[in-house]
Amino acid sequence: MNLNLIIDILIATVPLLVIFPSLFAFTTWIERKALARIQNRIGPNKVGIPCTRAGGSFSLFGLGQPAADGIKMLFKEDIVPTGADRLFHLLAPILALIPAMLVLCFLPLEFPWSGLMSAKSGVQAFLLDSAVIFFFAITGLNTLAVFMAGWASRNKYSLLGGMRAIAQMVSYEIPLVLSAVVVVMHVGSLNAADIANAQENWRWFVFTPWGLAAFVIFFISALAETNRSPFDLPEAESELIAGYFTEYSGFKFALFFLGEYISMFAISGLAVVLFLGGGAGPGVGALPWLAAVWFLAKIFALIAVMIWLRGTLPRLRVDQLMGFAWKFLLPISILNIFISGITWHLKSQNPVVIAGVWVASLMILYVVAKGLNKLNRADVKPREYKYAE
Amino acid sequence: MTQEITFWVLAVIAVLGALVAVRRRNLIHGVFALMIFFASLSGLFLLLLAEFIAAVQILVYIGAVGILLLFAIMLTERVTGDDARRVTSRGWFWGLVATIVIFVYLLLPAIQEANLPETAQPIKPSVEALGKKLMNPYVVTLEVLALLLTAALIGAVAAAQGARENKEEQSDDS
Repeated sequence: MNLNLIIDILIATVPLLVIFPSLFAFTTWIERKALARIQNRIGPNKVGIPCTRAGGSFSLFGLGQPAADGIKMLFKEDIVPTGADRLFHLLAPILALIPAMLVLCFLPLEFPWSGLMSAKSGVQAFLLDSAVIFFFAITGLNTLAVFMAGWASRNKYSLLGGMRAIAQMVSYEIPLVLSAVVVVMHVGSLNAADIANAQENWRWFVFTPWGLAAFVIFFISALAETNRSPFDLPEAESELIAGYFTEYSGFKFALFFLGEYISMFAISGLAVVLFLGGGAGPGVGALPWLAAVWFLAKIFALIAVMIWLRGTLPRLRVDQLMGFAWKFLLPISILNIFISGITWHLKSQNPVVIAGVWVASLMILYVVAKGLNKLNRADVKPREYKYAE
Repeated sequence: MTQEITFWVLAVIAVLGALVAVRRRNLIHGVFALMIFFASLSGLFLLLLAEFIAAVQILVYIGAVGILLLFAIMLTERVTGDDARRVTSRGWFWGLVATIVIFVYLLLPAIQEANLPETAQPIKPSVEALGKKLMNPYVVTLEVLALLLTAALIGAVAAAQGARENKEEQSDDS
């Protein structure tokens, strides 16, 4: 084990551990502000630079709020319920964070300093050929942390939240993977960097009919996989208090929060790699360091959509959630695989053929979606009133 | 050198995880110890440069089998985990004998006669080779397996549906 290798590893991994948690702090501020604006409030606007006048000219739109939150979390009392399994209660937040952090390594993020020490250009911390499979495998571990937290808290609501989380995450992992299969089929590689490189010159997969459908399915499943609203049933406040982290306080709660946001970053990053061309964008050819900027900008665009959806949509019911995954997303994503196979065999550059493929595949998808919707709709009879006539 | 250290660390974790999984009376702890065992096994596969198998090990064994076990435990009465009942194992002696016999007569000769290379040879890219093999000589096997799994899935759904209908009939009668 020579020194250069250690330095290479540090250069590859430490930025991930620094950049994404600081982005997390910034994202919580954006989220609180955006949700407040959607709900016609102002949001956090008091905390600014310490020791200056609160609410005055130095408050900087409340940008100091994440730091204040972090300090508050650190100094809060750590309460463990009497009947709780102390070991698992401690391990669950850690297990929630580690897979999320680990998965960041598989993103082909090329930071400008990656070529400083090593000969190889572009440090992707784990240059694996099967990065995409690893990504899905390790993201799946998040489920375990949620279950662990729910079980270890010895609380009915926590356990219910944990069980809901398992059912939801296991169900939505299938459309998530099946929608990514389409891209892997077209590129013929599971390597994240290869997939990103295959989309150069604006040939992003989201600009193809099958890619668009797969992107929408992927994004919906990613929302469910990260327990974001409208799929936040495991932590449904109005039903389960806070679900699996009801009994968590102080820094353990902060770790859960961090893990949730990091996995949001990670899964948006995978969506960017698979469908939005990775680090591709205007000006990358001239200035290579723009690739990382574009990559993060695309991740932030996806996260902005997530925040927007959270402020807009109501939460699903449990039966709707399950039915949507198994009866709608799963058949549609399997159909999408067929459509993408057919378009791959056509392989035509003729604009007429491309337009025809677009129209045909969108029509097929629309008809099937309509049919599935009709098939799944429970036959609701008009309500019969017994006493109030 | 680094590889040897990694191997020993992973091997010790795997054995400890397996032991804890067998010995713990708390079923949930047991399942999580089993998952640690699976995870370290996946690390060993990675050490042998078998990326795909390592990923599938995590995906299938931890992501699916482990969670299935958790679900199964949730359906039993031992959900809380603080079960004081003694789990008596009667056949430990014969189990030990069977283990030793299998090790001496089956595994040891296999290990001794196998012609293993000193270092693992990377197949680049291993997933591509695997996929081509699955499509060319083994396509019938793959399809039969897929059919079998689909049949099992449909069977499970049918079984669950039948049970529910029976229950509804009973509740109607009462």
